[in-house]
Amino acid sequence: MTRLSYFLGIAALAAATSAQAAELPAEIKQAGALKLTVNSTYAPMEYRDPATNELVGLDVDLANELAKRLGVKIVWSETPFAELIPSLQTKRADFIISGISDRASRRETADFVDYLGTGPQFFVMAENEAKAATDLCGKKVGTTRSTSFPVEIEKWSKQNCEPAGKPAIQYVPGENSIDVRNQLKQGRIDAAVQGSETLPYAQTQEPGKYRVIGEPFAKGYQGIMFRKDDAALREVVTEKLTAMIADGSYKAVLDKWGLGGNAVAQPMLNAASQ
Amino acid sequence: MKTAPALAEGFPDLSGMRIAREPHWFRWLSAALIVLVLALIVRAFAAGQIEWSYVSRFLTAKVILEGIVNTMVMAVLAMALGIFLGVVIAIMRLSPNPVLKTVAAGYTWLFRGTPLILQLLLWFNLALVFPTIGIPGLWSARAVDVMTPFLAALLGLGINQGAYTSEVMRAGMLSVDIGQYEAAQAIGMGRLRALRRIVLPQAMRVVIPPLGNEFIGMVKATSLASVIQYPELLHNAENIYYANSRVIELLIVAGLWYLLVVSVLTPLQMLLERRFARGTLRLAR
Repeated sequence: MTRLSYFLGIAALAAATSAQAAELPAEIKQAGALKLTVNSTYAPMEYRDPATNELVGLDVDLANELAKRLGVKIVWSETPFAELIPSLQTKRADFIISGISDRASRRETADFVDYLGTGPQFFVMAENEAKAATDLCGKKVGTTRSTSFPVEIEKWSKQNCEPAGKPAIQYVPGENSIDVRNQLKQGRIDAAVQGSETLPYAQTQEPGKYRVIGEPFAKGYQGIMFRKDDAALREVVTEKLTAMIADGSYKAVLDKWGLGGNAVAQPMLNAASQ
Repeated sequence: MKTAPALAEGFPDLSGMRIAREPHWFRWLSAALIVLVLALIVRAFAAGQIEWSYVSRFLTAKVILEGIVNTMVMAVLAMALGIFLGVVIAIMRLSPNPVLKTVAAGYTWLFRGTPLILQLLLWFNLALVFPTIGIPGLWSARAVDVMTPFLAALLGLGINQGAYTSEVMRAGMLSVDIGQYEAAQAIGMGRLRALRRIVLPQAMRVVIPPLGNEFIGMVKATSLASVIQYPELLHNAENIYYANSRVIELLIVAGLWYLLVVSVLTPLQMLLERRFARGTLRLAR
């Protein structure tokens, strides 16, 4: 009973304050720190700097700026990509900002505040003969198996290869982006798929090695992922993000990582079309 | 009817008394406590956030069944390779030839000294080192066409197992009395024939229990091959939860299958043990 009244009290407090600026949930405020979990194998969104072993990346910079404005510190932890959603559900993380795409199938368990344009992008080794994406029909295409890309590839293949009378793309699973690029280098696969936001970085690491084919083949957004029942936190983060977009600090972070072209005009709630 | 022997004066006759059972209070108390804790754990899981309907639905899903078949195929083949290598390495290790001895010791050192998952990743990515492999002048192929996830897993698991099995085999061979070697020699058997006819059959009896142990370990170690995309049980269960986010439910499905397989293997090992202990059945019982 006391716990119930405690929650009612919080709810009343939240209702009272929502008229003014949104506020951090009491638990986070008290701890003075946000618990954030990332999958640090997805440069340049989040990765360990090989020289310093520091956690760096676009998401890390955005999160640091958000935390500064919220007046809290960040306690970082790491997990495989597939464990990001469980980490949010089990409250290991307060929210997730880790290169994760807003997908309808993921909205059963979470809400997304979309903050960056993205899309799956085909790429091949520079010497590969493929010119257009349809040249990849019937070929082996690899991607990280824990992402939404396997489904996207299958869908694209159905819409583009089959009507043209070409054989479907053969999907080959990989463990993470690095493993997929290794498979590409070894010739295990003919082409690979990664989020378009990660390819400029991969190309600076190994100049002249890869060539992208066409444009991203589906339009989507990366989203900051919140628990469904955590509207208060979602609102306060959205508010700070809106301010960051307005004063240009958001754009500065994106430009730093060469992704100014993927900027959004404002944060959007669950806006991706699929 | 026999009469009880007469008791000396002043001693009461106790023979007719009921023997009281010791109450064993602590035994009852601890059993009750443990049962209570177990019941609470079961209740917690039953009421926890687990959609049991997903567990029963996916327990016999086609992908999961394929996964368990692939797991068993890999475990049996890798173990066979491991036993073959183990026997050869153990014989080399006990050989008087210093080259054979050193090579055998080096093999065990190398493959027991590095983590299994690292070895699997090396085999899988071998084509980064050797784009084409083959026999000069006879045959060559792209390394990736040869080093499929299946072969990479088989080599990684089998060769690693060989390093451990060689030590089990060596222990078995050492357990055979030195007199047996000498007797075989005395009737004119060569070293290898004596090994085959006299020593190994006796060593088998000793090595079966640890080999059974190793095989159970192997069944579970195949799950490491999931990182090199061999479609075994855990790999396939992961693929399902990557799509539907039912992490715990699918992990329970995979766990139940592993438990079932290991439960079936244990009595099989007992049968095998009996077969090799025919000469000493009294001891084995």
